[in-house]
Amino acid sequence: MKEQLEAIKQTAFEAVKNAVSEKEIEDLRVKYLGKKGELTALLKQMGGLSPEERPKMGQLVNEAKSNVENLISKKAEELKKKATELKLKAETIDITMPAKEQKIGKLHPLNTVLDDMIDIFQSMGFDVLDGPEVETDHYNFECLNVPADHPARDMQDTFYLGENLLLRTQTSAAQIRTMETRKPPIRVICPGRVFRADEVDATHSPVFHQIEGLVVDKGITMCDLKGVLEQFAHEIYGKDTNVKFRPSFFPFTEPSVEVDVTCSECGGKGCRVCKGSGWIEILGAGMVHPNVLRSCGIDPDVYSGFAFGIGLDRLTTTRYKISDIRLLFENDKRFLDQF
Amino acid sequence: MKISLNTLKYYVDINVSVKELCDRMTLAGFEIESIEQEGENIKNVVAARIVKITPHEDSDHLQVCQMDVGKDELVQIVTGAQNISEGDLVPAALDDSYLPNGMHIVAGKLRGVPSNGMLCSGGELGLTENDYKGAEVNGILILHEDNCPTGTDMREVLGLDDYIIDFKITANRPDCNCFIGVAKEISVVLGTELRIPKPNFKTTDEKIGNYIDVEVKNYDLCPRYIGRVVRNLRIKPSPDWMQKSIIASGMRPINNIVDITNFVMLETGQPMHAFNYDDLEGKKIIVRNAKEGESITTLDGNEYKLNPDMLVIADGEKPSCLAGIMGGKESEIEDDTKNLFLESAKFKRDNIRHTGRALGIRTEASGRYEKGIDIINVEYAMNRALELIDTLDAGDIVDGVIDRNEGLPTDRVLNVKTDDILALLGVQIPEKEIVSILNKLQLKTTVNDGMLTVNVPSIRDDVEGRADLAEEVMRIYGYDHIVSTPMRGDVVRGTLLPERIKTNKIKKLLCGLGAYEIATYSFISSNALDTLNLAEDDERRNAIKLLNPLGDEYSVLRTQLTTNMLSVLATNINRKVLSGRFFEISKRFIPKSLPLTEQPDELPTMSIGIYGDDEDFFTLKGIIEELMSLMGAHTQYERSTEPYLHPGRQALVKANNIPACVFGEVHPSVAENYGIEQRVYVAEIKLDVLLGINKRKTVFKPLPKFPAVERDFAFLCDKDISVGTLEQAITKGAGRLLEKIKLFDIYEGSQIPEGKKSVAFSVFLRSADATLSDEQIENATNNIIDKLEKVGAELRK
Repeated sequence: MKEQLEAIKQTAFEAVKNAVSEKEIEDLRVKYLGKKGELTALLKQMGGLSPEERPKMGQLVNEAKSNVENLISKKAEELKKKATELKLKAETIDITMPAKEQKIGKLHPLNTVLDDMIDIFQSMGFDVLDGPEVETDHYNFECLNVPADHPARDMQDTFYLGENLLLRTQTSAAQIRTMETRKPPIRVICPGRVFRADEVDATHSPVFHQIEGLVVDKGITMCDLKGVLEQFAHEIYGKDTNVKFRPSFFPFTEPSVEVDVTCSECGGKGCRVCKGSGWIEILGAGMVHPNVLRSCGIDPDVYSGFAFGIGLDRLTTTRYKISDIRLLFENDKRFLDQF
Repeated sequence: MKISLNTLKYYVDINVSVKELCDRMTLAGFEIESIEQEGENIKNVVAARIVKITPHEDSDHLQVCQMDVGKDELVQIVTGAQNISEGDLVPAALDDSYLPNGMHIVAGKLRGVPSNGMLCSGGELGLTENDYKGAEVNGILILHEDNCPTGTDMREVLGLDDYIIDFKITANRPDCNCFIGVAKEISVVLGTELRIPKPNFKTTDEKIGNYIDVEVKNYDLCPRYIGRVVRNLRIKPSPDWMQKSIIASGMRPINNIVDITNFVMLETGQPMHAFNYDDLEGKKIIVRNAKEGESITTLDGNEYKLNPDMLVIADGEKPSCLAGIMGGKESEIEDDTKNLFLESAKFKRDNIRHTGRALGIRTEASGRYEKGIDIINVEYAMNRALELIDTLDAGDIVDGVIDRNEGLPTDRVLNVKTDDILALLGVQIPEKEIVSILNKLQLKTTVNDGMLTVNVPSIRDDVEGRADLAEEVMRIYGYDHIVSTPMRGDVVRGTLLPERIKTNKIKKLLCGLGAYEIATYSFISSNALDTLNLAEDDERRNAIKLLNPLGDEYSVLRTQLTTNMLSVLATNINRKVLSGRFFEISKRFIPKSLPLTEQPDELPTMSIGIYGDDEDFFTLKGIIEELMSLMGAHTQYERSTEPYLHPGRQALVKANNIPACVFGEVHPSVAENYGIEQRVYVAEIKLDVLLGINKRKTVFKPLPKFPAVERDFAFLCDKDISVGTLEQAITKGAGRLLEKIKLFDIYEGSQIPEGKKSVAFSVFLRSADATLSDEQIENATNNIIDKLEKVGAELRK
């Protein structure tokens, strides 16, 4: 019987060793270890042995069984691994083939930029408000220190809709509405659409967008204005950006400034974009004119403030180097997809 | 305001380069629009002497010249000109030179002989006889400079060393629309000496009273009018220096008298007008409103009909000049004019503007009146003009002046604390410095115990209070002294309006659904609403009209967003973009009444437009459903009747019972209006309705613990029974056990009776509490069948 066991063991080992498929291994498992397997059968024959031999023989058979079992498991694992490897190898794809298109839309570039700006000003504590696009003469001009015969009205060609009703030429109108409804301290921005009777060309559009900013409190100075605009410029154009104030004129601010920042194209060395000056004009600002504060019921002897107006369209075209402002309103999908 | 540098140097010392001058003026509030260098288009052209002339071997008319161009070696140039001789000094364009006509000269060969440039005629250098004597002779320009070294740049030879600087004058500084105004600023900025002419002239013994009488009928429109008479005019061209100044500033020289009036206007900012005295009827000047029916033919030859709102300068009979705008043809100064009546006056600026607008005329003079001129300066300008007439010997000045006014203003006095100025600026400027700057700006200032007393002359009526003084001080002290201070106080993150927060969520959703946001104009063409086939009485036709639109294309405020969406779809389709999803969120403008008397409602609105092979009514419906679900709306879908949509493929969506959206396939005839030949789908959504919905707070539902049961049903029903009706019946029948219904087949055709259809659903039933019993399932199934039968659907067996 011992010889018989040894022979079975040997053939089993041999067979397992030579097996090449998982199926073959499973068959061998059944052949040797199954209920009707050869080693199992051997255990059943042990009834014919003497009581002394029986445990010894039992142990031998069980050892053999366990050896075969181990061998089969190991081989099975090995074959499975091999099979998987082969399968994966066969499944290799050309990863440079085109992706399956995912349909994701994009915000309009103007709003992508606007959202960034809102985020920057929100982080500086500015509330974000809205104002009507159809304004009265009162809010668009009178309260902003531009009375009817003021030459500054020439600066802005206005679309009129009726007696004293017009399409706002500036988001500054929203300033007034804010100061009428809120009491200082005020810290708001009012982004929105504005209109001027400019013929359409590569750099002009009768419809464009501004972000008006307003701060009113006790003891607000021009240095505070510069602080806010500098922080804004750093966020938009980077930490190395310098901010320069130039005197200017707006009827609703005094003193008024044009604000230049280091040209982001050349870093201030001078290039075509900045016409050699090293600076780019980005916005107009100033200290809120005492007449404006007064017309909103705020005492200019107690409070002061500053306001600024940022041209969103210009900011967008310069950020993305868009050559023609008309592209913004044409809405070609291939254009919109780039932002 | 364009001024030549040489002109400015007459009034003020300029001890810095043009670039530095411009930079410093910019920092003081005078932006530079442009700097133009005279002769900047003449390059590498020098004065050269002809050393030797030899005939060209191969040509009858060409000559070969050896030229001394100021270098060690002579340069050979071939020329066709015959008017030259050895020893002549001529302009030579050397190799790689440029001429004003854009010509680029390079070395080459003429009939085989090397020529290293070109000898130039006066015309080739852009010169006329006025610029240089002999410039217009036929042939090469022979220079008559005696001591000019060869090699000298021709720009220097011709005295083309001037610059024309265009200063941008802000609306608050009309006093700087003139040479003297700009020169004053330069003298403060550079700290150099200012030389303002002090007019001085001699007169004859005649008395003006014997010549003319002036009557101002409307002092409101003409607060000051000064008149003088000059006899025995000697009309001739004005001197070079005056012509150059005038040309640099963009005007045209005419004759000495006209040029003097224009020059004085450019110099002092005060417009002047010269009348032919002998053409004035009744020897009278009357400043009055025009009479109904009057007209005038102006200097430009146009005739204008006048109305009583317009101010004229009339003689005894008729208007002779459109006050402050343009003179009359009849009293024009001509070459044979003998005697002159000269006017210097102030007119009310908005009256000039209204008249100019009404008649469509704008002149150098009217532009200055519109911006505002100084009433005191009226007299100075007159005296300056007379001085020039005297020194240029243009006529004999009659003694005496007529000065009509109702009193002249004196300086205003402002009292402002230095601390209040500094508080606005946030910069510590020494008091002495403040006083010094204001005085330099001719705002006479003293200080006493921290209180400034500032005398503001009428020419600076823009200076009203401490803010203006702060600006005046700061722009001279230097804006670079403003150092930034960080935001003070508690900085908490700013808030957004709830509408903006919701709108942002909607945008995010639409982008997630593959839609691109678009931006279009708020105004549309007046016939855009016709393209939608809207009925004549459709309320969307009550659109607000712009009174002064840029053109019909942009003439009314939109009451809907769909027309612009269709244009965008058309643009993309035309450009062969195969498919697209787009959305826009903007405003529709709904007037409370027309014509507009108050602000309209500006209502947030959204449009969606889609097209392409994979798009249809139901993909758009899917987008709408996602939107409604995001906003927390309970929706109902009903058939709608929009004229611009396919009559059988459109729906109205009610959100919480309020109509909020119409969407569907665009009517082919409307699509055709936009040149669209394929099926496109649009939605117009009243965001005001959706933004007003209070979405219920989301509360977590436990995940199901027990299995669902799926039962499939196929029903036969009339063709016109909607799937919605069937779904409602199933919902009722299944009751609380219903989890979801899924339509999986609609079939018409063979085996189905005419006029009928087969509709198949999968119905999923589930209880949260236990596995469903057979009995429960059986009951639900029977109920579903029962309810469906009630709406006319029969179970197919």
